[in-house]
Amino acid sequence: MLAVPVHRILNREPKDACPDGVRDDGNQGEKPMSQNLHQRKIGRRTFLGATVAGAAMAGGLAPARLSAANKTVKIGFLAPLTGPVSAWGLPGLYGCRIWAEQVNAAGGVRIGDDSYNVEFVSYDNEYATDKAKVGASQLVFDEGVKFIMMLGGDTWPGVQRISNESGMLVSTLLPSDLSPDTPNLIAPCEVHPIYNVTGVSWLADNMPELKTAVICAQDDALGRPSVATYLAAFEAHGIQSEDPVFFSLETTDFAPVMTKLLSSNPDILCLDTAYADFVHPLCEQAHQQGFKGKIISCTADYYEQIIEKTSKEFMEGFIFQFPDFDDPALNEPQINFAAPNEFYAEYIERWPDQWSAVSWEYASIMDLWVQGAQRAGSVEPQDVLAGMKQGGTGKHAFGEASWWGKELFGIDNALVGNWPVVVIENGKAVIKEYRSIPDWWSMHGNLLVKHFTEMGEMYHQRG
Amino acid sequence: MQERNGWGYRATLAAVFVGLIVLPHVLSFSQKEVLVFLVINVLVVVSYRLLTLTGEWSLAHMVIVGVGAYASTLLAKRLGIPVPLAMPLGAVVAALTAYVLSFPLFRMKAFYFLIGSFAAGEVIRLCWKRFREPFGGPKGIKLVPSFPDIEIGFVDVSFFDPVNYYYFCLIVVTVSLVLLHRFEHSRIGLTFHAIHWQDKLAEAVGGDTRRYRTLAFVIASFFGGLAGALLAHYLGTVNPNQFDVEAMVYVLVWVIVGGTATIYGPVVGVVTLTVVNEIVLRELGMDQARPLLYGAILIASILFLPDGLESLGPKLKGAFARTRTQV
Repeated sequence: MLAVPVHRILNREPKDACPDGVRDDGNQGEKPMSQNLHQRKIGRRTFLGATVAGAAMAGGLAPARLSAANKTVKIGFLAPLTGPVSAWGLPGLYGCRIWAEQVNAAGGVRIGDDSYNVEFVSYDNEYATDKAKVGASQLVFDEGVKFIMMLGGDTWPGVQRISNESGMLVSTLLPSDLSPDTPNLIAPCEVHPIYNVTGVSWLADNMPELKTAVICAQDDALGRPSVATYLAAFEAHGIQSEDPVFFSLETTDFAPVMTKLLSSNPDILCLDTAYADFVHPLCEQAHQQGFKGKIISCTADYYEQIIEKTSKEFMEGFIFQFPDFDDPALNEPQINFAAPNEFYAEYIERWPDQWSAVSWEYASIMDLWVQGAQRAGSVEPQDVLAGMKQGGTGKHAFGEASWWGKELFGIDNALVGNWPVVVIENGKAVIKEYRSIPDWWSMHGNLLVKHFTEMGEMYHQRG
Repeated sequence: MQERNGWGYRATLAAVFVGLIVLPHVLSFSQKEVLVFLVINVLVVVSYRLLTLTGEWSLAHMVIVGVGAYASTLLAKRLGIPVPLAMPLGAVVAALTAYVLSFPLFRMKAFYFLIGSFAAGEVIRLCWKRFREPFGGPKGIKLVPSFPDIEIGFVDVSFFDPVNYYYFCLIVVTVSLVLLHRFEHSRIGLTFHAIHWQDKLAEAVGGDTRRYRTLAFVIASFFGGLAGALLAHYLGTVNPNQFDVEAMVYVLVWVIVGGTATIYGPVVGVVTLTVVNEIVLRELGMDQARPLLYGAILIASILFLPDGLESLGPKLKGAFARTRTQV
């Protein structure tokens, strides 16, 4: 009675109805988008849909003919939607809603001989391992999704066995989850924290007089590999760095942390990959304690609020890695993200003050998923994985990129190419330059391996 | 409550067991996963209640659950001890840890014990975060060996399947609950109650209250550690954040909402709140409103049922009897 082989579990038919989780095909209970289009004047969304359809066609992602006979492919969204880490989950779901609206309004995506509308099924994992396991089970076995997008980190171990047993393709924003034991896990958008080297490299080239740095980070799966990366980048560019200061996730008073950091009077204050809840008070403390140097950070989510809490002058020159998508530099020809400025305008109109580092990332991953599915002519996870990695390259949001990672993660499942360096100028994030991560790696890769090893972050040192 | 030796009681008990056996077959795959965690959490709250019988409320119980999880994981992964053996050994390590902690902690009582237990738990949790060897640091330990599949002839039991692991947990938890119930109703258990309500009097008649409190703490920790071991080998990972204060607050909430007067109070609490939080509110698509609604349910429950959900039955019964009398 107890014998239930895995293949029987995996062959379960997905539910027709969707009582669990939240379905999201972008229509939000309204009339189908195709109907609405006939009834409205040309508005922002219509314009946006048309723009994206045009861009997609120009990019080879030929949309299917508008047809009521489209099939539906379900995509899982398994990320923190509530709690302290929700800033790196919920804004991404918002971005996916816009993406789905655009794609479905343009007639869906043509994969093989079929046309598909895309429907997102979300599950709030609260950044907890057990919830992530339940969520993955629901998405894979109950909902029959063909692809799952995750934030990763502490939640990935709960999903790993399900992915390995079912062959489900899963994406993470944190490549430090990658290892030879994770053949179905890919990092197709954000090669965190490796892209942080581009910020340090830009800083060293443009402000060579800055020679000393201090780093602080929360002591967790996000903070530690990021510290290793910044240490490697500082060493590569001749910037002397003090021992990093780690603080616990429970920290609420950042005054002593900042006092310790600033005691050596550094030129550069590095906030590593701290959560938004930490970046804000750290900046406030740095402001209150009179720091006059440059601040570099992986993210600056909701930076307008930081400016309000400090001052425009204090935040001038703050370096980080995530642009606002209204930046004109995103219209350069190598950029593969369709109509970024319009995407941003739509996003800000619907969810004001909610733009974060991940708002565009999950949508960008979906672009790559579509490319992979179209190459493979199938939506099945293993076919899409093969399609994505075909030729060893992919069209990353910021340009052509290569599948990489063997030396650092034990598996070539991270898509790496250019990444923007963003600086706050006059209260607004501005892309200063795109820098190549592979070029940096080819020159300084040994330093990255050295610091990853010292931090115990190499794939063979984990767990 | 019905007479324990009566047919009605036995029939109710039999119906509950049949229901528990049938239950996973009417649930979706993910709900079966929730069921596994729920059964494990039942053991967590019932073991916690044993300590509260002596009048002490600890904030270290989830850390003790974590000690069982870490110990079982390390024994299985590093020393190669078979998982079925590592699990009870993990529980023993949790009990021994509690015994060591009892020396400083039971010099305190009431509120001071509560704060002391929080501090002791944090010390252990910070050790897990600080010492990457052997605890894995903040990321914890991944790829924890799972409970071995059983393949004998035609019988092929995979514990990847939540139904099978649920049945396994159900057996372990049922046996644990029976033992805890018998213990509570033994002479020692009755002494726990006496210490709770009249500790000075209990001392006056020769009861060594500190010894009994230590005993309750150690036994509660053994079963808590066992729950941790069950969790670790199912989840495949252990990390310090799983056993933090937030997790402990959930345990407190389950116990308080359910009530602590009877063994089934905390069970009702954890089952009700888990079903509401993980199934009902999610089914309603209220992902982002869940914390708000969950909080509202808690407040309502505490306002209108201060003695816990376990008091709802007797209250309804009383109201029904009064209505009949008036009629």
